[in-house]
Amino acid sequence: MDSVFEELYQKYHHDVFQFLFYMVRNKEHAEDLVQEVYIRVFKSYDRFEGKSSEKTWLFSIARNVAIDFFRKQKGWKEKILEKFDWSTNHVRDEYPIPEEITVQKEEIKWIYKCLEFCTMDQRAVIILRYLQDLSIAETAKALGWTESKVKTTQHRSLKILKKQMEMSYEKEGVTSEKVGVER
Amino acid sequence: MKKSEWSDRELEELLMQMPKIKDHRDPRDIYQNLSLKKRKTKTWLLPGLAVAAALLLFFILVPKMIDGTNFSYDSANEEKSSGNSQAMKSAEKDSTIAMKDQASIPNKSVSETNEKKMGLMSAASIKTAVYDEDVTDRKVLTYWIPDSQVQILVPVSIIVPAEKDKTWLTQFVDNMANLKEEEWGLSDYYPLKLSMNLDEKTNSVDVVVPDNHKYGQGSTEETSFIKTVNNDVFSNSTIKKLNFFTNKEAGIELGNTGRVKNHEIIEVKQHAFFFHFPEGSELPFLAPSIGTYKDINSAFEDMKTNNPTYRLNGSLEHLQPLSDVTVNGKTLFVSFKDIIDMKDDQLTVASFEALLLTAKQFGLEKVIVKESRLTHLGPFDLTKETKVPVAPNLRDIH
Repeated sequence: MDSVFEELYQKYHHDVFQFLFYMVRNKEHAEDLVQEVYIRVFKSYDRFEGKSSEKTWLFSIARNVAIDFFRKQKGWKEKILEKFDWSTNHVRDEYPIPEEITVQKEEIKWIYKCLEFCTMDQRAVIILRYLQDLSIAETAKALGWTESKVKTTQHRSLKILKKQMEMSYEKEGVTSEKVGVER
Repeated sequence: MKKSEWSDRELEELLMQMPKIKDHRDPRDIYQNLSLKKRKTKTWLLPGLAVAAALLLFFILVPKMIDGTNFSYDSANEEKSSGNSQAMKSAEKDSTIAMKDQASIPNKSVSETNEKKMGLMSAASIKTAVYDEDVTDRKVLTYWIPDSQVQILVPVSIIVPAEKDKTWLTQFVDNMANLKEEEWGLSDYYPLKLSMNLDEKTNSVDVVVPDNHKYGQGSTEETSFIKTVNNDVFSNSTIKKLNFFTNKEAGIELGNTGRVKNHEIIEVKQHAFFFHFPEGSELPFLAPSIGTYKDINSAFEDMKTNNPTYRLNGSLEHLQPLSDVTVNGKTLFVSFKDIIDMKDDQLTVASFEALLLTAKQFGLEKVIVKESRLTHLGPFDLTKETKVPVAPNLRDIH
């Protein structure tokens, strides 16, 4: 095995994989994409100048890979159809929820579902800030943004999550009530 | 901890509790996949190039193929209607050859109706050689003219009124100046710069060249000179021998051969007739092969092929495949039953004439077509026997 690969794998593989998984919400896709990240890394490893840390550099590549993945997935036809077909907006999450999530408590499952409603950028900020525990500055570097943009995006995504969490609480309440009536 | 109101802090804590998702694959597998993928990205290159090459070929070939079908469409139309441009042009040209020729006959034998008939016939396709019925009481003269590259000799025939008080040689020499070699796409070679006298006692011709003659300069010059005179004399007479003189001295000085005094006439026989297309012409000359053949079958075999060196094209291409080729006495039997898409066009007529002329080269006098999908080919009635031509490549000199 390549020594560069071994080093990168040891240090960052699981972080990058986790980032990609929460971005695309599907393990198989994440597995494919992490390979793509390595390929891109090897291609441009010589050009890595060390301006940012290796970790933020890897995340920025991973984010681009994820964006490309979504672009490829949606051809222009689907994009147009989607605009007209409003019903699809509400049933977007077609992938199964992985076991790691299903064994968690209710709130974790909710928040995982709610993450679906965030945009790519918002999701990237959430993952980097809270799951990867990066600072505002590190996140800004990984995304190539200013720190204030990171802050506002973070604020907005929390707001969306909050709203969705409340909605799912209401739904949950309704269903449990229904169950109660049936009894 | 279900609740309807969430603070930022609580959400952040929840997010931090999100489970770690791990890639359970072996790093070695990942690395292997990686190198596979790397190779994969390169492997599309080859098929990609192949596809590009195929597309390129496709775009080169398709217009040609379309042209090709257009061509056959055209020629199919030609057969049906005479209103087609290209066919008309060549046919018109040919008809003028034939018609002028007819008009040039001062005799009463040619009436207006005959001329009209000729015109109608030529609108379809015409015969290019001279046949018995064309000659009547006139004189046919055949001149061997080098092609534009001076590689082969093409026999060209003209028909002139018979003059009883003139020998064939006098008429032959007299008409040399009237030939239109360049107009026909051949080399300007005539009139020859010499005088010829008939010696009837010895059945020979005296060829007298001036002191400053140029026929001995260079090997091509001298061979084509000897060959031309030989063939001219052979085609127009039964003379057996040439005697050469330079001014009044016997013999002719030829650069390579040295001094030549006499030349026994070499018969032009057992040659195959090929198509020779002069530059820009669609109507071929029928020109004999360079070499000779042991029998007519091997000649026919070779007549399917092209000889680009001498610009001799296969003349039987339009009559393929011939079957049941047999010789009985002085008659050639042949069958066209296997020629599926036999066309009644000018080139097929020319092919048939090449067959007739080649038959004549092997001492045959007539050709009988046993079976054919077409009963008529241009002016030929294939249900009847066809006599071999008197001379090839009839052209008009007026």
